[in-house]
Amino acid sequence: MALTTSRSQFVGRIFFLGFIVLVYIFLLTPLVVVVIASFDSAEILSFPIEGFSLRWYRKFLSTEGVWLDSIILSLKIALLATIISTALGTAVSLYVVRFAGKWRESLRIFIILPLLLPEILTAIALLIFYYNIEGFFNALSVPLLSGVFRHSFFGLLIGHVLITLPFVFLGISGSLYNFDMSLEEASRNLGGGRFITFWRITLPIVKPGIIAGALLALIISYDLFAISYLLKPIGTATLPIQLFDYVRWEFDPTAAAVSTVSIIFTLVVLFITERLVGLRALRF
Amino acid sequence: MTRSRLTLLLLIPTLALLVAFLLLPYVNMVVMSFRTPSTSAVFAPGFTTANYLNALLDPDFYYLEILWDTMVLGFWTTLICLTLGFPLAYHLARTQSRIKTLLYFFILSPLLVGVVIRCYGWMIILGPHNGLINNTLKQLNLIENSLPLMFNTFGVSVGLIHVFLPFMILPLLGSIQAVDPALEEASQSLGASRLKTMFKVIVPLSLPGIQAGSILVFVLTISSFVIPILLGSYKVMIMPTLVVQQIMDAMLWPFGAALAFILSIAGGLVIYVYLKLTARLVPGVQ
Amino acid sequence: MTTLKLKNLTCRFGDVVAVDGIDLEIGDHELVSLLGPSGCGKTTTLRCIAGFESPDGGDILFDQSSVKGLAPEKRDLGMVFQNYALFPHMTVSGNLAYGLQMRKTDQQEIDRRIGETLEIVQLTGLGDRYPNQLSGGQQQRVALARALIIQPRILLLDEPLANLDAKLREEMRFFIRNLQKDIGITTIYVTHDQAESMVMSDRIVVMFDGRIHQIGKPAEIYNFPATQEIADFIGLSNFIACTVSSREADDQYSVDTATGRLRSTTTASHTVGSEVIMMVRPEVITLHSESAQGTHNEIQGTVAEKYYLGNVITYRIRYTDDAILQVQGQPWSTFEVGDSIWCRFDVERSWILPTGSS
Repeated sequence: MALTTSRSQFVGRIFFLGFIVLVYIFLLTPLVVVVIASFDSAEILSFPIEGFSLRWYRKFLSTEGVWLDSIILSLKIALLATIISTALGTAVSLYVVRFAGKWRESLRIFIILPLLLPEILTAIALLIFYYNIEGFFNALSVPLLSGVFRHSFFGLLIGHVLITLPFVFLGISGSLYNFDMSLEEASRNLGGGRFITFWRITLPIVKPGIIAGALLALIISYDLFAISYLLKPIGTATLPIQLFDYVRWEFDPTAAAVSTVSIIFTLVVLFITERLVGLRALRF
Repeated sequence: MTRSRLTLLLLIPTLALLVAFLLLPYVNMVVMSFRTPSTSAVFAPGFTTANYLNALLDPDFYYLEILWDTMVLGFWTTLICLTLGFPLAYHLARTQSRIKTLLYFFILSPLLVGVVIRCYGWMIILGPHNGLINNTLKQLNLIENSLPLMFNTFGVSVGLIHVFLPFMILPLLGSIQAVDPALEEASQSLGASRLKTMFKVIVPLSLPGIQAGSILVFVLTISSFVIPILLGSYKVMIMPTLVVQQIMDAMLWPFGAALAFILSIAGGLVIYVYLKLTARLVPGVQ
Repeated sequence: MTTLKLKNLTCRFGDVVAVDGIDLEIGDHELVSLLGPSGCGKTTTLRCIAGFESPDGGDILFDQSSVKGLAPEKRDLGMVFQNYALFPHMTVSGNLAYGLQMRKTDQQEIDRRIGETLEIVQLTGLGDRYPNQLSGGQQQRVALARALIIQPRILLLDEPLANLDAKLREEMRFFIRNLQKDIGITTIYVTHDQAESMVMSDRIVVMFDGRIHQIGKPAEIYNFPATQEIADFIGLSNFIACTVSSREADDQYSVDTATGRLRSTTTASHTVGSEVIMMVRPEVITLHSESAQGTHNEIQGTVAEKYYLGNVITYRIRYTDDAILQVQGQPWSTFEVGDSIWCRFDVERSWILPTGSS
């Protein structure tokens, strides 16, 4: 890329590379620090760490299941939200890209709206809404929504689906926009009807977009804080919330151990995505 | 069923979900902001504009001050993210290095690890008692007392910049990649240095990415609620924290809703002005 | 094998009439090419035949029965797309098997036909490769094979050679034409490359602006184009403005030009005194340093430009203040710029364009 390089250009280049190396270090240091801290043998977390120990991992796995419960809730929600938003996202992507006509842009914006709106606002709006509709029905003496949404698993799930759906949509509609229609025409020319064409030609080719979107949805849901904080069933916690409470009041490195496990989980999912469909598919 | 009816089936579930659980709740929240607050119930009967008036016309300017602080924080965070992120995005867009995927991964993984964990990492680094920086400096006998790196605007800013930097880099990356490298070569062949080329060619042409990244980071910052609490405790008060306090602690939902909308409208105005200004700087591009 | 008939076919996109009342009959075993510049409606016509566009008017008949409204997958045609449209997630064999699977052919027969067809297109042994592992020419042949293996009643080709480099394009022209002749399948070939359509076609259909301007054998179209537009599109030509002087024979007229009287052939009738245009192809003109008497036509001029192309020398001869004749000279000719020169051509080798379009 560079044309002839002079001395000053060389120096400039060194500064430039040095700068971005520093930024990369800035990006990664907190994560590295957390992982290292998880092995600290001291009671109170300090840095640099004093000794090497796995006790915090043992503590995390054994503590009355508090951590495990929150991990299980996080995973349950994440898996369900991913499945639902992948199904909905695939269907609506198809509609928006192929059949929406003049509504295409408006629909697109509407579907990714939960991404554009601040998560905390959506969380508050949903919380208030859940209370209000239950109150509304109660006032009509038809208490059919009692406890259905308000501080319930279902209400929480809806919040997660709202946030993850745009990610899946963007992933799939991206693939569909660039889809070469002549492939479908070739299939039809060779005798395949609309459904067979979709099943044997369209779907396999769009698959990387679907997988990338679904895996991204999984991770996003797992990490969601604001929505979970406001909508969760009373007495439960998702993993980010459990961590949040812990690091504010406790000072031992258990939180670091939990975080490290979380980081590993994220990295594994990213790795799988890279192997299956390449990280490029994660553009959003 | 005709074909067009069948295809509507693809749309209906999602549309229903969004209308019922996005549109309606927001509309409901607007309505809520005009209700009378009450501590015994969610709201009291009757409608009023008192919530908005109280917030905006407060004699101590308490709320307006917090709003201002929030906007300023958003501004500086966005600016610094842009400064840090642009060179990174440019490098990644143009590099042919084998570790390109690895670098992409470095940018993406903090994003996907979760805001709480990232803040926790900064707490370990910036902490006043046993934090990495303070500990190291003390051991090297460079300082006596801990530097106040946390529980203040500095700590919160570091956290905000760190968490939202990838959101600036990714749109920038897309935009810069769309700029034809031949344009840079043409610029250099006409005598411009790499730096000049960067400012005169790349920056104007990647304006859409700059706009997208800036708006994204700004909105995220003015609505961030976890980072100020973890890294600022309640010493750094910005609007989102205030709103959640009103909703969760004070149970003054109408007031909280009103504050939320004041924040949204203020943010929206800032973005609108920003778009108008930047569009005028670069005529002919988007 | 099948005959095809288009009756007053019309196709509109919004305000634009892409295909404007086309009538065409194609016989069994024929290879007919639709030739014209981009936007002339040839691809739209092909897509109507294939079923990917619905005509707004007219009818399409295969063997006298209408297929209008019939879904593409039921038309039993083989189509080769411009960008090949090979399924990227299937191997070559997978691509070839696809159409047969739709026809519920049993696996043994499928395998047999794949082997056979791969041999015909000279791709034996490449069955397990994926399209992105093949060269452009190989991909093109797979696309062809995929269309032929189902033994369709009509073969449609949409500018199949457009993405190949020049040398490969030439080879593939002969290849496709010979294959088509061997199998004897009725074929429609869409192209904007007139050399290609000359090589391949039994008949050429020249289209401009959604209408057919001329149908005929390649030699007819080349030597006796119906309009100046066609003459200009196909090969190089010189146009000489003339006024009709008298009729000399059934098919010959004397005309007056700026440089004197000439004779030319035509099939239309022209009134004396009317303005017409004479077409003379560069390759039929010979160059001489002196005039000579005879039944031929002669135009005197000066050599204005000379270009050496290796196999010919192109001369541009100025014969009036603003008119130029382009001539192909032998590569060893020695005329230089500025020389006075006589251009000679036979009466039978020039052509008066019929007025108007057909």
